[in-house]
Amino acid sequence: MSKRAEQRREAREQGGSEMTTFYWVFGVVAVLGVAIVGYSVGSDAFGQAVSEPIEIEGLDNMETLVAMAQGVTRGDPDAPVTIVEFADYQCPACGAFGLSVKPRVDLTYVETGKAKFVYYDFPLIQIHEHAFLAARAGRCANDQGKFWEFQDQLFRNQPSWPTASSPTSKFMDYAVTVGLDEDAFESCVNSDRHADVVSANMRLAQELGIEGTPTIMVSSGAGMARRLNNFDFQSIESVVEDLLATIEGN
Amino acid sequence: MTESDGTGGSLINRMAIAVMSLIGLFVCLYLLSHYYGLTGPLVCGVGDCGAVQASPYAKVGNIPLSAFGLIGYVVLLATSFLGLQPGKRDSRAVSVVLLGAATFGVGVSAYLTYLEAAVIHAWCQWCVISATLMVFIFFASFPEIGRLRADASEAT
Repeated sequence: MSKRAEQRREAREQGGSEMTTFYWVFGVVAVLGVAIVGYSVGSDAFGQAVSEPIEIEGLDNMETLVAMAQGVTRGDPDAPVTIVEFADYQCPACGAFGLSVKPRVDLTYVETGKAKFVYYDFPLIQIHEHAFLAARAGRCANDQGKFWEFQDQLFRNQPSWPTASSPTSKFMDYAVTVGLDEDAFESCVNSDRHADVVSANMRLAQELGIEGTPTIMVSSGAGMARRLNNFDFQSIESVVEDLLATIEGN
Repeated sequence: MTESDGTGGSLINRMAIAVMSLIGLFVCLYLLSHYYGLTGPLVCGVGDCGAVQASPYAKVGNIPLSAFGLIGYVVLLATSFLGLQPGKRDSRAVSVVLLGAATFGVGVSAYLTYLEAAVIHAWCQWCVISATLMVFIFFASFPEIGRLRADASEAT
């Protein structure tokens, strides 16, 4: 028998004790892993619904901040005009804008492809206790593609959920109304999901010097955004038409 | 006594890769379940996981990086496990896949660590754990080079 063949034979004969130890270690790691991940899933053990902004480092760079503060867009992404809103779900003026002005804006400009509408959260947490949680809930609805429907529910029910001691059950009702997957939505709301994005939205609003809600800005291409003093339809119409005329003139 | 491949070399490196891949797989599973809103806030004793997870670099399209990590660890785990089975210990394909996946994984981890340090300016402890695991897996894959060489010399 050659030396190599001898080595192989010896190696095969060498026991399975190392494999046994390996299987034990592997088994312990597997059991621990399944237990820890399983315990964290669907459990409040690792936290509860985050209802306040979180600290995020690295947002001094405006480019990073804009990338992190993802707005929710409605309409054609390539539309020539962009209408931006910074809003708070607990603010009555935002509710009025969302229920009476925005539908006209959608009908006239967004659905015709002339403009896209981008929504950013700016919960005024100093005066609105549940505004941050509502903003997160909106983002949770967005995960399931029902952002605008859920937003509509939040605005329509402004007399109701802001006065609740814990508005989550109200949000659940609205989730059912708009056809969200209840379990996924509840898990999302009862976590810190989107707390970072909403916090980044707030930081962006502060960096832009926005002090109140709703704040509407209109821009086209790479041009400077025009901040509107009023948020009625006529004010928006005037600026959008002006921009569209300028674009057509070019 | 030492479990060995057909050439008499120890298979302990494959055992180590299997265990470390399993740990990495659970790390990715945890991050993935958090991404899909199935857990509470991320446990983040060190660093700022929120900033890293919310950065545009945490996803490729709409797919979180933890999903890709999960696939990578599953490949490493399955291959290393396969390479421990008596019939596959001398398999050249096992060595090639382990070396290739470990090298690719450590390269991606190095890039993501660079992003955390130089671009995002924030650290996520889970990403650091995963990157560290990948470095160890990379080193643990070195004996595969010897196996491939032995295989080549035996063939000649």
